[in-house]
Amino acid sequence: MSARGTTIASMVVLVVLAAAPFLSPLVHLDVSIVSEVLVTAIAAMSVNLLLGYTGLPAFGNAAYFGLGAYGAALSAKYFHVSFLLAILIGTAAALLGGLLLGPFLLRRRGIYFGLLSIAFGQVFYFIAYRYTDVTGGEDGMNFPRPPLGLPFANVTVNETAFYYVALAAFVLALLAFRAIVASPFGRTLVAIRQNEVRVRYLGLNSDRFIFVALLISATMAGVGGALFALLINFAYPLELDWHQSGYFVLMMILGGAGTVWGPLLGSAIFVIGKDIISTITPLWQIFLGALFVACVLGFPRGIVGTFSAVLRRRAHVADVDDANAAFDPHAPVEVGRGV
Amino acid sequence: MASDGVLLDARGITKVFGGVRAVDDVSLRVQTGTLHALIGPNGAGKTTLFNTLSGYARPERGTVVFRGTDVTRAPNWQRVRMGMGRTFQTPSVFPELTVDENVRLGVRAYAREAFRLRTPRGEAAAAVDRRVDELLGFVGITGSRERSLAVLSAGTQRLCEIAMSLSTDPALVLLDEPMAGLAESETDRIITVIRDLRERLGLTVLFVEHNMRVVLSLADRITVLDRGKLLAEGTPDDIAANPAVRDAYLGEGVLDHV
Repeated sequence: MSARGTTIASMVVLVVLAAAPFLSPLVHLDVSIVSEVLVTAIAAMSVNLLLGYTGLPAFGNAAYFGLGAYGAALSAKYFHVSFLLAILIGTAAALLGGLLLGPFLLRRRGIYFGLLSIAFGQVFYFIAYRYTDVTGGEDGMNFPRPPLGLPFANVTVNETAFYYVALAAFVLALLAFRAIVASPFGRTLVAIRQNEVRVRYLGLNSDRFIFVALLISATMAGVGGALFALLINFAYPLELDWHQSGYFVLMMILGGAGTVWGPLLGSAIFVIGKDIISTITPLWQIFLGALFVACVLGFPRGIVGTFSAVLRRRAHVADVDDANAAFDPHAPVEVGRGV
Repeated sequence: MASDGVLLDARGITKVFGGVRAVDDVSLRVQTGTLHALIGPNGAGKTTLFNTLSGYARPERGTVVFRGTDVTRAPNWQRVRMGMGRTFQTPSVFPELTVDENVRLGVRAYAREAFRLRTPRGEAAAAVDRRVDELLGFVGITGSRERSLAVLSAGTQRLCEIAMSLSTDPALVLLDEPMAGLAESETDRIITVIRDLRERLGLTVLFVEHNMRVVLSLADRITVLDRGKLLAEGTPDDIAANPAVRDAYLGEGVLDHV
């Protein structure tokens, strides 16, 4: 897609998101469902950085998501911190988790990285599951949603207010994500996905890049998790479970791995699809499973990835004469495999 | 650099794969400014030796000294920073990126820009552009700069890989079978580039090659491996006259035509 086309499409999406609390009743959609779309999209984005861009099978990002959720929930319940501070604490807990696990995960690549990620995630799952006195164990723990915590606006956070906080977090995460993947650092991550050996033979310590990518990913997943707990006023062990990690991977692949907007679209399809189908039948997972299979077989690049590949092929036909035109180093870099 | 003019000094390298001594007590000295060829029949251990020299694999025994520093335990990326570049038998490039981006990644890595979150502008960006232009011009693939590597011929991929290995400003370049599987015109181009590496850039080159005619006309120094062991070492004339080498290559008839 051309840079201008991408910008226009992005603006349209953002305008629709900004108006969502007023639009969603028209389609009988609860605004909190749209909040959930944004919150899980942040977590799916965190998987995208590792799996979609760097090529690392991030099958355990629910660990950071859950650390974010429990960090926010525990601090809100026991220390009565404000809404914003709970987000910060949850995010810090996830970052700490990344710092702790990163050095071990770094030692493996490919499927072993994935297995190790799952295993570490399950450790946190069982801690939350067993440490009943504090976490409530299997039953989870509820807590009242704390007030916002801005000195000039320490208001209670209703569903509409929550939505705008989630939207702000999502937009910030998206802007940060775009800047990261378009930067020299992000380009190096893509290079690592394509050929890590060559990256090292360019004199770069790829471990260092992967470690930082892991920390960024853990932090983003933590923001998503903290917001998720505050959205439902509840934290439960399944947020840390490997099924949850799988859902994030699924959303990312559905939307388009290695694309900036893919995780949002995947999250929207997943969350809204689950909401609609689960009112009709408790077997919603079968339908999502079928959708996933169809997507992997039919559109392995995901919806955004397939769409932008088609547009690029069209644009390319028009551009053939331009192949030797002067290179513009300031032109927007095409990131990953799509827009 | 070592004062005696030895750029790379490998001593008693042994590398074992599951009981097989792929490289068995091989020593190799590469003098500064030479085109040094490494030859031997298939399975002689050339690539394995290359891998231990460049840090792709760690030898069971032996030491690798580069520019006077023991690098036996240094990771590959560190050796690159010390001035060692390498290519692989199958070109090791970024297939989905363009020629320009492939080389640019190397130039940015060398300029210590790869870790940045901001794309440098102004003079720093211009310096990177100039360096990319220079490298693409040197190997002669400027015309393909906007094409992605996956769609290019093996020869262009290899030239791009050479440009990438030059982007880190090496003193020594290791080329693993740079002419394997190329058309004749492409082979000539690679031979010219290898000569230019020394004549125009003043680099030292260690290369693996099968084509004896190319090796004997191009190299100043030749090391012959056979079944993991050092068979001979010397000038092209020494090697062509060496009975043990003639034996190892017997039946191939390559030496009779030189």
